[in-house]
Amino acid sequence: MSRALTLSRLRDTATPWLLPAAILVGWQAAVSAVFVSNRVMPAPLDVVRAGWEAGRTGELWTNLGVSTLRALAGFAVGGSIGFALGLANGLSRLSEALTDTSVQMVRNVPHLSLIPLVILWFGIGEEAKLFLVALGVFFPIYANTLHGIRSVDPALVEMGRVYGMSRADLFRRVVLPGALPSIFVGLRYALGIMWLTLIVAETISASSGLGYMAMQAREFMLVDVVVLAILIYAALGKLADTLTRALERSCLSWNPAYRSA
Amino acid sequence: MLLDALSRDALPAPHPLVGEATSRAGQHARPPAGRGLSVTVQDLHKSFDGHTVIAGLDLYLPPGGFTAIVGRSGCGKSTLLRTILGLERPTAGRVNVEAPTAASPRAVAPRRIMFQEPRLLPWASVLDNVAVGLTGIGTRSERRDRAAAALAEVGLADKAGQWPATLSGGQRQRVALARALVSGPGLLALDEPLGALDALTRIGMQDLIERIWRSQGFTALLVTHDVSEAVALADRILVMEGGGVALDLRVDVPRPRRRGEPELARLEGRILDHLLGTQPAA
Repeated sequence: MSRALTLSRLRDTATPWLLPAAILVGWQAAVSAVFVSNRVMPAPLDVVRAGWEAGRTGELWTNLGVSTLRALAGFAVGGSIGFALGLANGLSRLSEALTDTSVQMVRNVPHLSLIPLVILWFGIGEEAKLFLVALGVFFPIYANTLHGIRSVDPALVEMGRVYGMSRADLFRRVVLPGALPSIFVGLRYALGIMWLTLIVAETISASSGLGYMAMQAREFMLVDVVVLAILIYAALGKLADTLTRALERSCLSWNPAYRSA
Repeated sequence: MLLDALSRDALPAPHPLVGEATSRAGQHARPPAGRGLSVTVQDLHKSFDGHTVIAGLDLYLPPGGFTAIVGRSGCGKSTLLRTILGLERPTAGRVNVEAPTAASPRAVAPRRIMFQEPRLLPWASVLDNVAVGLTGIGTRSERRDRAAAALAEVGLADKAGQWPATLSGGQRQRVALARALVSGPGLLALDEPLGALDALTRIGMQDLIERIWRSQGFTALLVTHDVSEAVALADRILVMEGGGVALDLRVDVPRPRRRGEPELARLEGRILDHLLGTQPAA
């Protein structure tokens, strides 16, 4: 019984990784059999070797650390502004009337199109990356927080009022928990945009970071390092997604849609 | 019965400080005998966007009575209830809900409403949902104790830690009833609270409401579509029509009432005749 359970759990854990593993094996086989030139695509083992090398010299960790710090700083700044403005506009008609139209206009400008302007303003310093990431993260957090608050069941709000909840109580016990599922959707979008923006910004204008590492490798035709950088992006994206899911499961366990099996 | 469960003796007092807080709240939960509130409605008018729903209605509900309002959809019965509860502002006229004896405003028992839907917070446990009924009353641990007692009264003590999503429709409505009753209200308004339940669950809930009303002595005001429900529960039935009271009937059948009693059936027939007879010819 418990053995069968362990086996089935093992299968559940292993299934999502079958496809990536198969691709890896096929890839290695293709390169080893010289179907594919290793100038175009390095073998997985070469990538592992490149990773090992970059890790040994410390170059990988420095760049990874720099990029992570930038990503988190930009996320913290843009995310908190977006969250605060989303709350304000969700709760106050006046605040929404004042700011929402402007926000919607700016939202339709692709934030990466600002890169030339940002380089003019900040050069290639840290501010440029922080600004772009913060701007990119702002919109999904803002829009989903606002939507979450707007879609809180008015019947529950009325119930809270009838039972004598103060405005602060109403916010803490009814409005915020009701908006949370939508806020999490915004969070996941924002995390994706955070990495995207950062990598683009680092690729175009930086003197450190993962994007810079990949660009540097391109100049020296180090295809394995380029592929290494791309795989690290994939891993970071997956990591961010896993963390958000875990957070969702613990915060939204009341919701049958999020309950773990 | 709920009162007994809520009295200070029934509550555990783990240390003296809590014991003291409990005794204060115990007084709140048990106002002087006959804590029911009286309701006086004078020349009430209510209209929405120029459409008149209630036109010049006068009504007096004595403390501790059980009144049912029946009428066809759109006759204004829910609006009247919401206006009495202060959820709607009268267009004209006055609504007074007051304690019969001049008590200090703090001692007046609260008014509570049970809606058509349970309106439970899906992100709060069943126990915490009941404790919403004690917002602003007592300490946290005391609220939990009283909520647990109220849950036991509606027969859901074992569901305290669950999420509302795991309960059946009838159980959710019982949680909503416990939430409405946990503070020991002086007026309980019931806005078709059983409309969405199946027939058997309904009858169980009616018995539960009647039993608690008899033991607690609050003023009950029930709005319903279901004439047999009104006849089974109320000691006075108002039939609303055209924004006013068309029929005001006393139900003098002793309790507990047996379902299908000829006296009740006769009364039900009379009300239905009135409701159907006034239907405009199609």
